[in-house]
Amino acid sequence: MRTAKIPMVIAVLALWAGQVLAQPTQPTQPSPSPSPPTYSADGLYNLANAYARAGKPGLAVLSYERAALLAPADPDINANLAYVRASAHVPMKPLSRFARLVGTTSPAAAAWLGILGIALVGIGLVASRAAPRFLWIPRGGVLLGIALIALAASNAMLLWPHMHEAVILVDQAPARVSPAPMADTAFALREAESVTMTAEHEDFILIRTGGGLTGWVSRASLGAVVPSD
Amino acid sequence: MRWVRILVATLCAFAPARYAMAQTLDDLAYETVEPSRIKLGESAILRVTSFGRIKDVTLPIIPGLVFEPLGRSQGFDFVNGATLPATFFSIRITPQFAGVFTIPGLTPSSRPVGLEVVKGDEPNPYTWHSQQPTPAPVPTGTLPKGVQLQAGGAAFVHLAIPARPIYVGESVPVEIDVGLRAGIVTAVNGLPTLKGSDFTFNNLSKQPERRQESIDGGTFILLTWHSALAAVKPGEFELSAEAPLTVKMSTLSAADRAIASRLAYPLLQSMYSGVAPKDMTIESSPLQLKVLPLPMEGQPENFSGAVGNFRVSSEVSPASVAAGEPLTLRLHISGAGNFDRVDSTMFDHLDHWKTYPAKSSFTPSDAVGNEGEKVFEQPLIAAQPGEQSIPGLEFAYFNPNTRQYEHAQTPAIKVTVAPALASGLSLSGAPATGSALGLRPDHRVPQNSASELRPLYFRPSFLIIPTTLALLLAGSWFAVRPNAARANSKGARKVLAQLDAAARAGDSSAFFTAARNALLQRFAAQWRMPADQITVADLRARLGATGEDLERLFAIADETRYSDHQSGGADFQRWISLIRGQLSSERK
Repeated sequence: MRTAKIPMVIAVLALWAGQVLAQPTQPTQPSPSPSPPTYSADGLYNLANAYARAGKPGLAVLSYERAALLAPADPDINANLAYVRASAHVPMKPLSRFARLVGTTSPAAAAWLGILGIALVGIGLVASRAAPRFLWIPRGGVLLGIALIALAASNAMLLWPHMHEAVILVDQAPARVSPAPMADTAFALREAESVTMTAEHEDFILIRTGGGLTGWVSRASLGAVVPSD
Repeated sequence: MRWVRILVATLCAFAPARYAMAQTLDDLAYETVEPSRIKLGESAILRVTSFGRIKDVTLPIIPGLVFEPLGRSQGFDFVNGATLPATFFSIRITPQFAGVFTIPGLTPSSRPVGLEVVKGDEPNPYTWHSQQPTPAPVPTGTLPKGVQLQAGGAAFVHLAIPARPIYVGESVPVEIDVGLRAGIVTAVNGLPTLKGSDFTFNNLSKQPERRQESIDGGTFILLTWHSALAAVKPGEFELSAEAPLTVKMSTLSAADRAIASRLAYPLLQSMYSGVAPKDMTIESSPLQLKVLPLPMEGQPENFSGAVGNFRVSSEVSPASVAAGEPLTLRLHISGAGNFDRVDSTMFDHLDHWKTYPAKSSFTPSDAVGNEGEKVFEQPLIAAQPGEQSIPGLEFAYFNPNTRQYEHAQTPAIKVTVAPALASGLSLSGAPATGSALGLRPDHRVPQNSASELRPLYFRPSFLIIPTTLALLLAGSWFAVRPNAARANSKGARKVLAQLDAAARAGDSSAFFTAARNALLQRFAAQWRMPADQITVADLRARLGATGEDLERLFAIADETRYSDHQSGGADFQRWISLIRGQLSSERK
């Protein structure tokens, strides 16, 4: 019995240590710098609605995308995002069934479920090694843990492209052939169009459209879905 | 000076020939009067041309005419295609009353000439009436007050500004007149400029107005530029104008001019004139201009600095739109004043309309942009369908004529806004509920918030957790040793159960075969060697006396396998006891 308690204690300690590390450190004295921005799915959704009503589809889509990062299963966010994109005549790529299924889990929940999966797999393996009796219990735990890890990995793979996604904020934003203000315009981008950022140079960002076109766009003409620190 | 003396000496060499010619032409002379018909108060010039050696002429005495000698000069005259030296006498004739006068010949060979003096604009019956229109006479003018001729009397600059005080920011027209004496001023080398650091000036008119005037007995070309100025601060300031010119100026000294006057031939005089063009800048007399501050009393809050006299009107097109569709509100501001201070702040009060930045255009109606019309185009988008009203626009300005602030206001305009199109493609102007345009309503006040949009599993700080957990669990897996006794107990129980079953059945072959295999597997795992390589010597060496019993058991097992040997029930129990002891023993 003593050997069976060891992995449980280790797992609990690991979870506690991770929780402590994940939390931001509290300053000992109040800092004069402004507080960092906080995001909420509802707040971003309401902000996006306000932008949509103000006739700013670029900022509206950007806020909807950010809200969807926090609450991907929110039907209001997805409905308004689709509506604004359609209104701005921006094509929207349909989601696969797998993507819809995986997308029902929020990234935060998926992350913690992945942690739980790792713990289950590890504890199951250690327990089966330590106690051969009732092997179906650790084996079931290992299987469940693998499923949870797979869910978290799928969620991460689904959201990975959004880490480099940006939304065009101005209509007819020129995409230039080189990162210079006077460079020739290769093509123009529609407001609220989503692009993928692939590189950056000074005030220009190299983007790739859904159609595969690439060009340099002024940094002020687009907004990253996940703002850089 | 040396070449002048040589020239004079050369002319003297021709004196004998000239004297002989003069002897033949002593009696040849004629006289003319120009014009032959003058008005009372004007003068005519009597010109006597003599080809002889006449030194002087005697002025006649005619009642009603006053003769005044102007001078004597020498030159050449053309007679029947021949160029002859001549002496010219010029005499001014001024009549004292109207009439027809006959002036006798002043030399023996000249004939009398007639002069008609009229009182007013009486037609001349003797004048040949040409079909071509007669050129307009050059009007007579005078120098503006306070203006003096400059550049040796060749030009002047005059600046005309309002005599009254002006207000800060008020745009007032100014005129710059540049007078140029024809034939003396050869070029204007640039636009005139206004001098005054406390004013802002509009651009000068592109083309100056041009006219001719006779001023002070000479013909002047007058060029007039228009502009507008505005004062930037109150006070009393000086203002002047200057113009760059090229003027023909004499470069001769007084001695040179005396020599030139002694030359007999005009050709030589012109060669010795010493006139050369010279660039210079002439400046007008400075003028004082008083600038008053704008009164603070009664200044409207929406006053943007416009000073002048303005009128406003507005229109909208189209008058009927669908919700979300844009319409254009045009505000026309016309009049005179500083249009650059007329801005679009009056559109700031369109609360119920979505607005975009207004565009403006100005169309001047004068040369300097002081008068004209400024049009603002304001795109509007209706927020809600139904009968909407665009509120009237109010424009505040200061009128320098009335010396007070005034308001110009446009009336409200009715606009019919139809419901949004079925496609709902327009986003703008949706109500807060969003139902009209397909937007789902807002959520309630959010409660939970995150410090970062990046998902947890993409944050390095979070990745520490699964990494640490995986490392700890892996370490635990290696640290935890499997329990050998427990691992073997199940197998041992299984073998013993088989042995009990074989013993109850009396099957010696199955009993000893199972016992032999179980023991060999046990010893192979315990001694870490293949089972088929375990020998009798190994049993004796490792197990001692027990090894001998096991050696016997293996021998019986071989016998039963090959000779069908059967053992008694008591033997089975003894063998089972021995085997249980071996299978449950700890590893050595």
